[in-house]
Amino acid sequence: MSNITKSGGDDAEFAKPLYTPIKRRSFFMYAGATAGATALLLSGCDDDDNNDSMTPGTVSLGSGDVGVLNYAYALEQLEAAFYAQVKATPAADFSAVEKDYFSQVAAHEAIHRDFLKAAINRDAPGKIIQDLTPVFSSIDFTKRASVLATAKTFEDLGVAAYNGAGKYLKTPAYLVVAGKIVSVEARHAAYVRDLIANGSFADDSIVDAATGLDKAMEPVDVINAAQSFIQQKIDASSVGK
Amino acid sequence: MDFLKLLARLAETDTQSLTVTGPRRTALRRLAQAGTAVLPAVLTALPQPAAARDSRTVQDVLKLALVLEQLENAFYTQALQQPLTFFGTTENRAAIQTIQTHEQQHVDLFTRLLLNSGATLEAAPRFDFTGSKNGSQAALYPDVFSNFDTFLRVAQLLEDTGVRAYKGQVEFIQFDDFLLESAVRTHSVEARHASHIRTMRRQRGATVKSWVSSSDAPITTAGSVAAKAYAGEENFAQYLAGNNLVPFVDNLPINVAKPPLSQAAILAKVAEAFDEPLEALTATEVASLFIY
Repeated sequence: MSNITKSGGDDAEFAKPLYTPIKRRSFFMYAGATAGATALLLSGCDDDDNNDSMTPGTVSLGSGDVGVLNYAYALEQLEAAFYAQVKATPAADFSAVEKDYFSQVAAHEAIHRDFLKAAINRDAPGKIIQDLTPVFSSIDFTKRASVLATAKTFEDLGVAAYNGAGKYLKTPAYLVVAGKIVSVEARHAAYVRDLIANGSFADDSIVDAATGLDKAMEPVDVINAAQSFIQQKIDASSVGK
Repeated sequence: MDFLKLLARLAETDTQSLTVTGPRRTALRRLAQAGTAVLPAVLTALPQPAAARDSRTVQDVLKLALVLEQLENAFYTQALQQPLTFFGTTENRAAIQTIQTHEQQHVDLFTRLLLNSGATLEAAPRFDFTGSKNGSQAALYPDVFSNFDTFLRVAQLLEDTGVRAYKGQVEFIQFDDFLLESAVRTHSVEARHASHIRTMRRQRGATVKSWVSSSDAPITTAGSVAAKAYAGEENFAQYLAGNNLVPFVDNLPINVAKPPLSQAAILAKVAEAFDEPLEALTATEVASLFIY
């Protein structure tokens, strides 16, 4: 939206005089400059943490912002593939309304997937991960209950993934785009949860009872939870690093 | 308290009044100081660009979040004082109770974060959810606490506005992992609330999806302040770093239906698939409908 188009470029940032109170973007710039220096220092003693010994068939999501985008892209590929299957072979005990709703959710997830693919190809050419092969053998697509349970898992996981990954994004525009997507995922999650048990849209199993905050998960934990649905071994260890 | 005066004061606040306390903030301050020291002095000679959006401080963000959460909390708290007949079913009441509990927790969270940032807390605003500004003008929603459908319409307006408002603020607290994660985890809970309120309305016969859609029957009058809560949600142009546009219109093939949808239908789905941010000013304008 307009807020992104209006964002000043780096040139504009550097044009700010130092006597200006440290405001949001300029503070971010200073912090970024220092963080960059730190990263340079760390890179000298971090060699054994690289992906040199990566096993064949493993898909590394990569590091930095593009790692986070690939991470989101992997999850959206999974969700899109799942809903495409739900749409292609709808459960026999789905109501007409539910069938229609899942076809809409399928469209949203396909759009998220294609958006992220285009985004990565545009901003980080050559860095995109391959197309992933879903493994849905544990899901009984003919049964409403099985489909709903899986949808709930994927949507809640997606929300927790975006919530935990925001802090790894350095580019403000990506953070805003992630925010635009995650709230739609949260709307899906609440919708699916209400189909399973009306009123469970934000119950204690997903929203912390003490703080009222949604779950946030680290990339490696999210990938661990999603790995059984993906044929390729995914390495999320350097996402955001 | 005059809400507009509060806004004016917020606009005057800058980060220099953000008295930092605690090790995390001290570290941040040191980081900032270290950063300024390494910047070439020559940059100070360059003119300052117009960058109104850049002037929001952490305290501005936290204060906006607090006001929105106080608004929602007061709204649901007042509803819960109504008899069960207002809600119709215990299930409906339970859902509102769930939401109110979260809003109270969010009020507590942002109160704590503001205090930690060294801010002095303002008195909570006074709310009038009929929109009559305490009887000083015609009510927008006269039966908000006697007609459950009106109540749900206002609830949807507040929740959808909240979701958009957080989205508009996250980039201003991006440098602080803790604040950012607190905000995004609040944000997605608000989206869950919005979804459920919309589902409740649909179950009661309203034409509305659980996500914001161009096919929703409007709950606001075109041109009104409340309508600003939805203005721009129809956007389908998504920008990336450096003003890069991902063009859904031209060259992004989206195969979402068989037979293929019309371009207009596809773009309507694209608009659904992304919730849009709302500027702080617009969010406060919508909120101030209910503040006097």
